[in-house]
Amino acid sequence: MRRAVAPLLAVTVALVLADSAVVTLALPDILQELDASVSQVAWVLICFNLVLGLGAVPTARALVRVSPRIPSAVGIAVFAGASAWCAVAGSIDVLIVARCLQALGGALALVGCLELMVAEWGERRGVAAWVTAGVVGTATGPVAGGLLTQAISWEAIFVVQVPFAVLAVPAALAVRAAPDRAPDRHRPEVRSNLTLALLSAALTAALFLLVLLLVEGWRRSPATAAITVSVVPLAALAARPLARLLRPSPQVEVAVGCFLVAGGLAGLAIPPSAHLAWTIAPQALVGLGLGLTVDRLTAQAMDMRLPRVRHAGWTIAARHVGVVVGLAILTPVFTADLRDAQVPAQEAITALVIDAALQPQDKVDLARGLGDELSEQQGRVPDLHRAFTRLDLDPQDRRVADALERDLDSQLERAATHAFRDSFLIGAALALAALLTAVVPRRRRTS
Amino acid sequence: MSTWLRTAGLPASALALVGAALAVQLANGGGSFESLRTADPCVERTVTARADGIEGLTESLVLLGVDGAACRLDTSREAFVLELGQGGERTDAEIDALREGLRDAVRRMDREGSLPPASDLVDEALDTADLNGFLEAAIRALPDRVIDSALKTDDVLLRAIDELDLRDLLDDLESQDELNAQLEAAITQAVKDSLAARLRDLI
Repeated sequence: MRRAVAPLLAVTVALVLADSAVVTLALPDILQELDASVSQVAWVLICFNLVLGLGAVPTARALVRVSPRIPSAVGIAVFAGASAWCAVAGSIDVLIVARCLQALGGALALVGCLELMVAEWGERRGVAAWVTAGVVGTATGPVAGGLLTQAISWEAIFVVQVPFAVLAVPAALAVRAAPDRAPDRHRPEVRSNLTLALLSAALTAALFLLVLLLVEGWRRSPATAAITVSVVPLAALAARPLARLLRPSPQVEVAVGCFLVAGGLAGLAIPPSAHLAWTIAPQALVGLGLGLTVDRLTAQAMDMRLPRVRHAGWTIAARHVGVVVGLAILTPVFTADLRDAQVPAQEAITALVIDAALQPQDKVDLARGLGDELSEQQGRVPDLHRAFTRLDLDPQDRRVADALERDLDSQLERAATHAFRDSFLIGAALALAALLTAVVPRRRRTS
Repeated sequence: MSTWLRTAGLPASALALVGAALAVQLANGGGSFESLRTADPCVERTVTARADGIEGLTESLVLLGVDGAACRLDTSREAFVLELGQGGERTDAEIDALREGLRDAVRRMDREGSLPPASDLVDEALDTADLNGFLEAAIRALPDRVIDSALKTDDVLLRAIDELDLRDLLDDLESQDELNAQLEAAITQAVKDSLAARLRDLI
């Protein structure tokens, strides 16, 4: 039992940080089931990151003065309870409130678990495990969320977290950890935290926008999208051996990581088609970049700084405020671009229907059906299949209609892909801004 | 490990990876994966009608006519069709442009020799016309040569286009029966006017 304590705490850290993006693939289902608007659904993501980002530093300050055992257990219990509440939320408002509570418990659990893991494994191993658990959670969140949504339902995302968190409560209580009474000697490490914030904003573009493009734009199932975006965590795993092989300085490692994320996002902005294979190389670049930067920057921001828990709080704040900034910048851009894409998409569809080798009356019927679908599915990339199923055609015309349907779907995919382009490029610019903050020479201190 | 490799190894690898990924994407059409661009309606395009007979002729005329109208209105064919499909009040400019577009279409098809002679359309027109049996049999008995010399397809079509109340016609797009009734009335009147004009010319 004793051996399971620290791993359970590490799992809790991964769970809390996975929650930052775990619902991304479930957003379309939540939107439908809870009868919510797109902006309300975006708040399911934003509120968690905002509360976690703003709550981490005050929580860490408070935790400096007391033993982390009880606050950690309380934080994990609140996180577990709020997760269960999320699963049974009957309206979008309740879900948003439950997510805020989940983030509050999560903030307490995160900083508390750091102290408990250090108490269990020692300074070096404890901090390394805490940082790694965070990276794993962040990278695998969307994958796990997508698979659970497809296999069971979006509620399952929250239900599966409850038993792990419940088990972690006694684990937290079992650790004898003294309060970290180190004097408040060090200022927050601004450069690493700023780079971390900008990079988190860029990674939001990679994870959030990519899953939206796959599910909403290219109409792939959440499971397919989840498997596709698993390239990111897999590539992140490969980053460490690569760094060990070439042994660059930490600064070079971070700068290269930022450059890889920027390159990957630029690649995602210009896929040659809607084939999933075209996302693999750019995602691998993003994953490598993530693996080279996030844990390194987190470690740099905490390195030799006391009290440790407060600096850990700053890293959490930087990451999650970065996510919120990323969402705040990108959401209006891509929603406006999606709106602007409607006219060229409708015109392309009209051109193909007018020129289709169908009987005139069938074209009129099809146009009427497509018009109905477009009005019914306002605000989303429409599914045009129903308009085609309603047509009464002979076998030869059915083949023509099937080819036309494929062409129309392709036009929708083209329009959606084009609509996401600027957002991915803005994400790339954010990663380049992170690169700049990482490579600007430090000012020499004059004595 | 050399200092150079430590300093430049990872950046060089990253540059190569990013450069290769972007080059492959761009070489395969990355950056141009976007919606079909609408064609310039003022540039003549070839249209193919799927239907035969009068319906096929109407389809060709409408496809060419919409192009002509869009060209006159300085918009795309697709934007014009979507605008018409939305219903609501049609402007005089839209109606005039559509009428002129249809007239241009008749003239173009006549110039290209793709208008069928009137005799090719008579049987089909009689099938749907509400005439008494004797008159219908008499017309069917006329030799094609006589029909073609009495009725010129382009003349009948131009007259029918002038005769049509396009505003009403567009409002009745939802009802096939109303649409057919309007077209039949316009064509019947156009045939009468064309025959009267021929007689006047002969006299």
